Amino acid sequence: MATIARIDIDETGPVRAVQGFLKTLLARGGVDAVLTPAHLVPAGTVMPTLISDPEALERADPLSPAFPLNAARLVSRLTRGSTSGRHVAAVLRPCEIRAFIELVKLNQGGLDNVLLIGLDCPGAMTNADFRVFGLEGDPLERTREFLRAVAGGESRPGGRSLAGACRVCEHPAPEGADLILGLHGADLDRAIPVLGNTARGEGVLTRLGLPDAPGAPGRREALDALTARNTAARDAMFEATAARTASLAGLAEYLSGCVNCYNCRVACPVCYCKECVFLTDVFDYKPDQYLGWARKRGAIKLPADTVFFHLTRLAHMSTACVGCGQCSNACPNDVPVMELFRTVAERTQGAFGYQPGRSPDEAPPMTVFREDEFSEMTGEAH
Amino acid sequence: MKRKHYAALVVGAGIAGIRSALDLAESGLKVALIDRRPNIGGVLAQLDHQFPTDACGMCKMLPLTSRDSSSQFCMRKGLFHKNIDILLHTELAALEGDPGKFRASLRQRSTFVDATRCISCGECARVCPVHVPNEFDSGLSTRGAIYLPVPHAIPNHYVVDLDRCTRCWSCFEACPTDAIDFKYAERKDFRVVAALPDAAARTDLGAWLADQNFPLVLAEDGAAALRALEEERTALLLLDLAVADVDPEKVMRRGLELYPDLDVILVAGPGDQDRAEALIQAGARQWLARPLERTVVRWLDHHYIRTVSDVTHELEVGAVVLACGFDCYDPAQAGQLWGRGVVPGVVTALEFERMCSGTGPTGGRLVRPDGRPARNLAWLQCVGSRDPARGADYCSGICCMFAIKEARLARQADPEAQATIFAMDVRTYGKDFQRYRDEAESRDGVRFVRTRIHSIEPDPEADGVPITWMDDDGTLRREVFDLAVLATGARPPEGSDRLAEAAGIALDANGFAAAPPLQPARTSRLGVYAAGAFNEPRDIAESVIQAGAAALNAARTFKVHSPPREEQAAPAPEYRDVTREAPRMLVVLCDSCPTLRTRVDMPSLAARLGGLSSVVRVECVQGACSAPGWQAVGALAEELRPNRILIGACMPYAYVPRLRELGAQIGLDPAFMDVADIYTPTFPGTATPGTALETEVYTALAMAAVKLAGAEPSPVLGRLPVTPRALVVGGGLAGMTAAMALADMGHDVCLSEKAPRLGGMAAAHHTLLGGGDPRRVMEDLAEQVMRHPNIKVFTQSRIMLSMGRAGRFMTALATAEGPAITVEHGATIIATGGREVVPDSYGYRVHKTVLRQSELEARLADGSLDTGALGGVAMIQCVESREEPRNYCSRVCCAAALKNALTLKERNRDLPVYVFYRDIMSYGFSERFYTEARGRGVLFIRYSPADKPRVSFGQDHRPTIAAFDPVLGRELRVTVDLLALSVGLEPGDNEDLAEVFSLPTGPDGFFREAESKWRPVEFLRQGIFVCGVAHSPRNMSETIASAEAAAQKAARILAHKDVVGGRVTAQVRHSLCSLCGRCVSACAYGARRIDLERGRVEIDELLCQGCGSCAAVCPNSAGVLTGFKDEQVLSVIDAALAEPTQPTEATP
Repeated sequence: MATIARIDIDETGPVRAVQGFLKTLLARGGVDAVLTPAHLVPAGTVMPTLISDPEALERADPLSPAFPLNAARLVSRLTRGSTSGRHVAAVLRPCEIRAFIELVKLNQGGLDNVLLIGLDCPGAMTNADFRVFGLEGDPLERTREFLRAVAGGESRPGGRSLAGACRVCEHPAPEGADLILGLHGADLDRAIPVLGNTARGEGVLTRLGLPDAPGAPGRREALDALTARNTAARDAMFEATAARTASLAGLAEYLSGCVNCYNCRVACPVCYCKECVFLTDVFDYKPDQYLGWARKRGAIKLPADTVFFHLTRLAHMSTACVGCGQCSNACPNDVPVMELFRTVAERTQGAFGYQPGRSPDEAPPMTVFREDEFSEMTGEAH
Repeated sequence: MKRKHYAALVVGAGIAGIRSALDLAESGLKVALIDRRPNIGGVLAQLDHQFPTDACGMCKMLPLTSRDSSSQFCMRKGLFHKNIDILLHTELAALEGDPGKFRASLRQRSTFVDATRCISCGECARVCPVHVPNEFDSGLSTRGAIYLPVPHAIPNHYVVDLDRCTRCWSCFEACPTDAIDFKYAERKDFRVVAALPDAAARTDLGAWLADQNFPLVLAEDGAAALRALEEERTALLLLDLAVADVDPEKVMRRGLELYPDLDVILVAGPGDQDRAEALIQAGARQWLARPLERTVVRWLDHHYIRTVSDVTHELEVGAVVLACGFDCYDPAQAGQLWGRGVVPGVVTALEFERMCSGTGPTGGRLVRPDGRPARNLAWLQCVGSRDPARGADYCSGICCMFAIKEARLARQADPEAQATIFAMDVRTYGKDFQRYRDEAESRDGVRFVRTRIHSIEPDPEADGVPITWMDDDGTLRREVFDLAVLATGARPPEGSDRLAEAAGIALDANGFAAAPPLQPARTSRLGVYAAGAFNEPRDIAESVIQAGAAALNAARTFKVHSPPREEQAAPAPEYRDVTREAPRMLVVLCDSCPTLRTRVDMPSLAARLGGLSSVVRVECVQGACSAPGWQAVGALAEELRPNRILIGACMPYAYVPRLRELGAQIGLDPAFMDVADIYTPTFPGTATPGTALETEVYTALAMAAVKLAGAEPSPVLGRLPVTPRALVVGGGLAGMTAAMALADMGHDVCLSEKAPRLGGMAAAHHTLLGGGDPRRVMEDLAEQVMRHPNIKVFTQSRIMLSMGRAGRFMTALATAEGPAITVEHGATIIATGGREVVPDSYGYRVHKTVLRQSELEARLADGSLDTGALGGVAMIQCVESREEPRNYCSRVCCAAALKNALTLKERNRDLPVYVFYRDIMSYGFSERFYTEARGRGVLFIRYSPADKPRVSFGQDHRPTIAAFDPVLGRELRVTVDLLALSVGLEPGDNEDLAEVFSLPTGPDGFFREAESKWRPVEFLRQGIFVCGVAHSPRNMSETIASAEAAAQKAARILAHKDVVGGRVTAQVRHSLCSLCGRCVSACAYGARRIDLERGRVEIDELLCQGCGSCAAVCPNSAGVLTGFKDEQVLSVIDAALAEPTQPTEATP
């Protein structure tokens, strides 16, 4: 059984080749539709699109540097409580897969009717940058240019920086996917290796009848180099952020641009509450309350609860933070939310030895109670 | 005096007494619980760590249903239950009458500190000049003559130790609340008439008592004394028998005639002491030796103060439970044998436990007497146990396990600690004990040395405690330890003879309450029962079981013998709906205690509180805890009709029942009332008077006020009607005992047995260790069960399916005849027993000369074995037991071996009997049979599991047993006619049943109880109980006790019309819930589940204990807890932060 096949690339380029692969998948892979980033018609940006007509795959472009939102929550909607027996394939970035697995653990989605196709992630641009870069000229050509620049090791592919989150991403390979499009180290003029990563992925791969590949030459090396570079950048970012937010005053200053629009929580793929507690009656203060505060302290900044909101979200979600950076992407005021979350998450996740999105079998730390945990807090080691 | 009525009186408020009292109280019966100590908790008040968790866990005994009837906090601190009246410092003085209608006289010794005034500030202890060893720390620290008996009790009041008090009055003067009362002023009403013919004696007495404030009349002869008595009311007559003019007896009789409660104290010389004794029979209180010494002043002072301060209570009780526990053996009784007092570093186990306690005298550090860390520790087992020479031909049953626990604790306290346990046998006979021991050995490196250390010789050269012993290979070894812990055994409690006399029960030869065979909770007196360790030393789990059994018997006695009494059930109070009203809060501040008044500006405090938007009135009252003070609160509430009431006082927990009454009085749900502690911050030494202190007090009140403002009514949820029937699964000894107990109390019982006949394993016994006829007992029991009108028996039946919850289960039974039937029942008792193991080793089933002990017993009983013709019998203990996969002790096999060995020796005195054993588990009083067997020449040869006896068979099938004898130091070979194997018990096929009832089983297949120590017959799933061998191997007597305990637990449910949960429970706001299920995994009680059909999280209000874990893990407050809404908690935090007592850093 082939565990690695390949998608041959002709002169039309890698995006067309991937489109061809997705067509084969629709025809022979036992899926009823494919969720993939696609260019909108008649024009506009790239958005996750659920495609069941093979013709419509002409617009699919999962390799584009566009990352308008994290699609994990869309996949959760396609899978939660599904009993129809219909199957979907979803082409996702590694951070989207990790977020989806977190949602699955929280009963917000299911793995039964979805085939996860993960991308070796070349990184993405912020929405603001992609609007400038991606929307001029032939969109597929722009994607190809971007891929070439990334493969060539350019730090500013297409003249734009990658999004901050991508620059510090230490998980650029889709570990939880059924099938992996092995872009890292691949020669994008010749072929993309497809790796069967789970039993289900291997089964599907066999059915597709793609030509076998001897392996994914150069992938491991490229991945290691990328991971090393990003990890170094990440650690520098941790240090800088930790220094800026070391005191409550520092944190308040760090968040001073925040206008309590809560876009970051809307964009966050793992913030799964039906209604955020900050929108419920819990924070419905009476007018007296505000005036009381103002009287007691002399002055009170409004809207109140800015730091409280971010701290609350950190308390609730930092163990599940997958580092996709959509919070920063969504922020209208350039508050470096991603940096803060990742810096805190590094410690909260580390405290429990927990890596979000690694495996659906790993229970979220707050749902597990172990007597021997945190003996330094509970006092005695029993 | 009007007698108070109680269903039962429980004597002893240690863990067994508490368990009995709670068992009775939870089934709706009124209980009086007394203890002669000033605190509850017994010996466990001093112990912080219990195996297997090495934590305390006593609170796990608190009721899970009807939670609001009881306190819900640390039980070592205190216990409040609406059906339990606790009297401390109280002893049973006399018990008269018959079961169902006993008249009990209780004597309550005064503590001389008024509990309604004492605020536990500690000023008195600070100034007390007396320093005596503190019993709570086993003498490792000191205390004053006024002291806190335990540091953690709630409420915790100081107590005067009258014998140690020098009456210097320092405490009296230091007390800020005038709580200490030595009745000095009242002395003027205590008139003393002293009839002393000796003039010098009169002069002395007059001088001594000059400043004692007693009215004193000195009479020189009988006539003068009679005149003085006639003159004025007299409290005490001091009557010298040397009075000659009138017969002293006449003087005494006249005095008693005039004043029936006159104390007549005789003064007698060596010649007239017999006469004094005779007069005591006639009504004198006691006699003092002539001539009187100056010490008579102190004597009179004590006598007076006791006479006027102590109280007598007269109760009418249906039954009595004696749970007086045990005392630890005092090694000083053996002089310096164990080096007590001469070798520093010899401590008792209790002293060691205090050292391990974080609040103990060393703060949890293990130290040598010279202050260096104690790293090399030794435990000496059987100090005062298994020692007929010191009056203990019994095993205390607890010391092996507490020594292992302490050894493990030592390792936890200091990873470098080395622990050595010197023991003859390591008696790990209880459930999971063996694995605990194995873990101590393999993981913690605890060393077990097989020997008994008889003595410790002082050696000034040694740097520590020198211990010498003989090793297995015969060499003399010596080691010096930092500490030697004497594992002191259990002795009958001090004064048990007096108690036995007062209660009218017999004691056994060891001084414990005598129990008839196979009636473990009975005493010699009908209606008086023994709980806990009072009739045999027991560990916590068995004490708790025994307490349940005693409670059951008490309840049964009350039910059968007590005259029916009109119980008017209090009508459920009706509360007005105030949820739509704006908060109108009455704040009442109790300002009677000067600690508050002198340190806090009360008008300013009241003004600040009045500034809170919800507060409509702030009032101060004097002594809110006293009756008039509380009436003042009630009057304010009546007048103002507020919809919130906040009281600032001390000891908030003490107000819980009062708030309930006030609620009924003014129609306000007590959920809208609260009491905030405003006194603790004002204690002397805690804060200086001034603004900061006032702010602290204000903040405490403001926090409570904002929480109350957001309060909601809290109706009791989870009310479910009870089906008054029990299902008992298993018709052996346990099942039948439980069924009879419940049926006798008037409950319907459905008994399911899979075999064609009732009886189970116990029916196969022929004899008992120590005599008795188990066959007869079993046959009688089966007949009673079959004939009982309340019991329906289904033999050859099988449980197919069961569902429901405590109060109402539905269970389908498949029966031999006809279709399956459905039983509706309110409680379930699992009593499915076990079976004897069939071994595969030592030639069993191959050679007819190899038998199990039960088979040997049967052949001895039916006479088919000619003991005279035997040339020798060997026994091997622990066959396929106490090692994996059956790594547990079965408890019954050593007893069976002893029983058969003794029978063999009885019939053929010269028959050689060899017992190959690992540890003889003759725990408790069965030890004497081990002593007897050795005395009769039974040879016991110890083997280790690594080197088991080897058995070979000759042509004639005669077995030859070869084993290494550690005493002889060489291989021993014996050829015998019979080999009896002690095989142990294994559980029945529990898997199916476990699945049907969703019950857990342990690693050995026995059912897994909710908690091994504190809830030994319960499951986590409420309404289902376990007893007998289904729980763990146990003998017949222990099986009966556990069955009665389980029956009592079931009765607790069946006795009520409905089961209720608590007021504080979790709820789900479904519109916000994302169904992520975090709360489901966070719930420790299994009270939550996701209902897939309805697409929502459902809560079982009965199982929910209101802990709030669900609310904590829910990110958007879809999970909420009554009384702890986010808004409330946030405003409380806000109130706490609003008034910084210290300036904080400004934040932007």
